[in-house]
Amino acid sequence: MSKRIMMVDDSRLARVQLEDVLEGTDYQVAAYCRSGEEAIEQYAAVQPDLVTMDIIMRGMDGLDAAEIILKNHPDARIVMISSLAYGDTFDRAKAIGAKGFVEKPFHREQLVKIFEQALS
Amino acid sequence: MMDAAITREGLEQILDQALQDVTERTAGVRLHQDDQPLGEDLCTVHITFDKGFATSLTLCADTSLLVRMASNSFHEDAVTQEDLEEFSKEYFNVLCGKVAGAVFRATQVSAHFGPPVFYHGRYEPEGQEVQFVLTYSDEHSKGAQLIHHMARPDEGGAASSES
Repeated sequence: MSKRIMMVDDSRLARVQLEDVLEGTDYQVAAYCRSGEEAIEQYAAVQPDLVTMDIIMRGMDGLDAAEIILKNHPDARIVMISSLAYGDTFDRAKAIGAKGFVEKPFHREQLVKIFEQALS
Repeated sequence: MMDAAITREGLEQILDQALQDVTERTAGVRLHQDDQPLGEDLCTVHITFDKGFATSLTLCADTSLLVRMASNSFHEDAVTQEDLEEFSKEYFNVLCGKVAGAVFRATQVSAHFGPPVFYHGRYEPEGQEVQFVLTYSDEHSKGAQLIHHMARPDEGGAASSES
């Protein structure tokens, strides 16, 4: 049975790319949120196996949204996705309990490996 | 400033690798460096680095090249003006993130940048001067230039990226 991903990203390019790289894998995008606020609202209804969370979005950023989701749902598994995967951003993502960090643009093998680690 | 923390050759290599990698992985288009001049129908995307480095990057490209890249990326045969602008900004945002990450690994300096701004035609940021230009073309001889700007010494910082 496919693992259900909730993707949180305001980029159409990222959405298309994620769907492309997950084609033929055991993962499917079950829900798509264009903001951190929408993700917080939708999480309980969607109950995804994994959340992919962009960091820089309009409105609330992905780190703040991930922190709130993890506070409300401590068992949530969140992988941060960004082109800014370094330095203080990386440190804060680890500190709030993100299960991994994926750089844009996506690379299928890297993505699936980090998803597997996040779900193990 | 970016050039003070990393050599010009090092920065050129980072920019070249980032552009080729991001272009192929997001749009399935291979670009190679050459000196072919751009056409007359151009679009420009510009990003200002506002923390870490007083610099900016500009991508000026043949519109038909960006349209092809947007079409490939979005899996759409027909690309609207909105699609073109959306793709160009998101693509350049990822490209600059990749550059910032590589520069961080080389210098341990975190570089943050503002939102990308899209223009029809060629755009020259005010108060900045060109440091170097990397010129590319695809297999259809459509081209792009990646331009590294820095604030002029008397300007005291990077110019605003807003038109």
